[in-house]
Amino acid sequence: MQGLSPSARLRIEELSARYPRKRSALIPSLQIAQEEAGYISEEIMVEIARMMELSPNEVREVVSFYSLLHQKPVGRYVIQVCTNISCQLCDAEGILRHLRRRLGIGPGETTPDMKYTLLEVECLGSCGTSPVMQINDEYHENLTPEKIDCILDGLQ
Amino acid sequence: MPESVSLTIDGQEIRAPKGTMVLEAARTAGILIPHYCYHPGLPVVGSCRMCLVEIEKVPKLQPSCATPVAEGMVVRTTTPQALENRRSVLEFLLANHPLDCPVCDQAGECGLQDYYMEHGRYDARHDEDKTRRKKAVPLGPHIMLDQERCILCTRCVRFTRDITRTGELGVLSRGHRSVIDVFPGTTLDNPYSGNVADLCPVGALTDRDFRFQCRVWFLGSVPSICPGCSRGCNIEIHYNRRFDPRYHDRRVHRLKPRPNPEVNGFWICDEGRYAYRTIDAADRLKIPALRRGDGLREASWAEAIGEAAGALRGVLGGNGPGAAAVMVSPQMSNEELFLARRLFRDRLGIDRIAGRAPAAAGASGDDFLIRADKNPNTRGMDLLFPDAGDCRDLVESCAGGRIRYLHIFRHDLSRWYDPGRLAEALREVDCVVFEGSWDSPTARLADVVLPAAVYAEKEGTFVNFQGRVQRFYPAVPPPGAALTDLDILARLAAALEAGAAGSTAAGLFGEIAAHVPEFAPLTWQSLGPTGRWLANPGNDHAV
Repeated sequence: MQGLSPSARLRIEELSARYPRKRSALIPSLQIAQEEAGYISEEIMVEIARMMELSPNEVREVVSFYSLLHQKPVGRYVIQVCTNISCQLCDAEGILRHLRRRLGIGPGETTPDMKYTLLEVECLGSCGTSPVMQINDEYHENLTPEKIDCILDGLQ
Repeated sequence: MPESVSLTIDGQEIRAPKGTMVLEAARTAGILIPHYCYHPGLPVVGSCRMCLVEIEKVPKLQPSCATPVAEGMVVRTTTPQALENRRSVLEFLLANHPLDCPVCDQAGECGLQDYYMEHGRYDARHDEDKTRRKKAVPLGPHIMLDQERCILCTRCVRFTRDITRTGELGVLSRGHRSVIDVFPGTTLDNPYSGNVADLCPVGALTDRDFRFQCRVWFLGSVPSICPGCSRGCNIEIHYNRRFDPRYHDRRVHRLKPRPNPEVNGFWICDEGRYAYRTIDAADRLKIPALRRGDGLREASWAEAIGEAAGALRGVLGGNGPGAAAVMVSPQMSNEELFLARRLFRDRLGIDRIAGRAPAAAGASGDDFLIRADKNPNTRGMDLLFPDAGDCRDLVESCAGGRIRYLHIFRHDLSRWYDPGRLAEALREVDCVVFEGSWDSPTARLADVVLPAAVYAEKEGTFVNFQGRVQRFYPAVPPPGAALTDLDILARLAAALEAGAAGSTAAGLFGEIAAHVPEFAPLTWQSLGPTGRWLANPGNDHAV
């Protein structure tokens, strides 16, 4: 298993030096680590814990709390579907069902070609345009099954 | 004296030191505000919301665990609003609780059960399935986790972060997916891990050793002092009140820490916690024994005491007190040491007395509670026998043929003396008396074996390394024919016609206070549940 690259370690060290307590740099450090490997392995959590003077479980608490941080390898496109109340009322279930059928995977799974990962997430904060999903860093709003097909067809 | 403020809680006028939280101030007035996440030994997080109370002039309910008292504050803990909050909190906590009380060890001492009976009593409104989580997950050598029973109060997490600073536990994931767990590939294994089972207010963390052994409502509880090291942690002995030798193989089921801010805070170490097994161990000595030829033969107390007294009288008459020797032990209580001093030293004139022995191999301490000295009363022995010699030197004297009678209290000499040479040395002594609780190579070399009670079977006091005099109480009777050391010494004194007055622990303690200046200000009654300092404890804890 690979650890952090020397350049990532350097960036993290520089970041944590900016704060009175090293742990303040934890979230951006995890983002740097994820940029590199696509996800944050247990080995990386231990390595970052050592750098931030935390216990490995304190790092894992943060990684497991945020749906944008991944503990397993993910596909090129991470599709996060909101199933909280506003989206639910606008048929988020139907949206999720359509994605399951189209991708052949369930929430928490990745396609064998490592192209898509499907996740069910809590409120994405865009209730006015529900139902909503997020693909990597972009929002897709007012979804319908047809719209989803169109979006997925446009992805390489 | 810290500045104090006065406030009113449920109509009671209360004075409390500034900075005290409302929950603690109420507790001192006998008002118990329900709570889960709050624990007096841990940092406050105010997350469980169970302890919310009404405070006059504050629009919303306030967490009493995190609200400091203020002058003139008026607190009400049982208004309809406060009670409704408790019901709601319980309803949420129980929404996903498995209700497996019939197979849960916590039943009977569970925060969910107790508060539901007092404040809940609603009918379930949930049609949905409960969430399923991992059950019976061994976290380490002593602790079992049930994630379904957990209410996420985080007491255990804070314990590993702030008390042991080992950080094994964490809250993982978010919202209704949150669980307590260790980091993958690691275990909850530190010298104090058993405390998280005490801290857990529900059945999420249970003690693997105690699991399915005994229902808690069959347990009796007696205050005691851990004899495992010179810290003298305050403990409770939990024993089976319905013990029946036909069905049960142990009387004492567990030890729990008893709070004492001067000594152990709220905690005990695992080494002490699980040492309760020695109380009902198979190698306990239960019947007096006498050497006949190559072996030991069981005997009555009259025979055994008669043989020891006869041998001692013969040596004192024939060779003089210089040929008799005694090994006292820092495992003995102050009262036992004092009675031994009065009998052997004062009445019989024996001054060849040893006490200190080398530490067992591998004995170590830490910077928290555990002390390297594994004896509970080294300080008391040093006060009552200031001139006592080294036990090794006394064994050498035996080997040199200068000792005709040797009375050994508790020491297993083979732990620090070559067993072969020890056998030769003791063979030089006409009569070796071993008075102790467990079988050992030393007991097997003795001519007279006197089975004695352990700390859980008698009363007395120890002085811990800081100079705190603390009392322990009997939880169960001595096994078989075994007697307390005070009874054994009284019988020996009677057989020697050396006087036997004052053989109760309370009476002897009064005599100690009269004869030993360090104990002078103390009385048996004044020791109370958490002990008192010696006159000059020699640390920052002077009375």
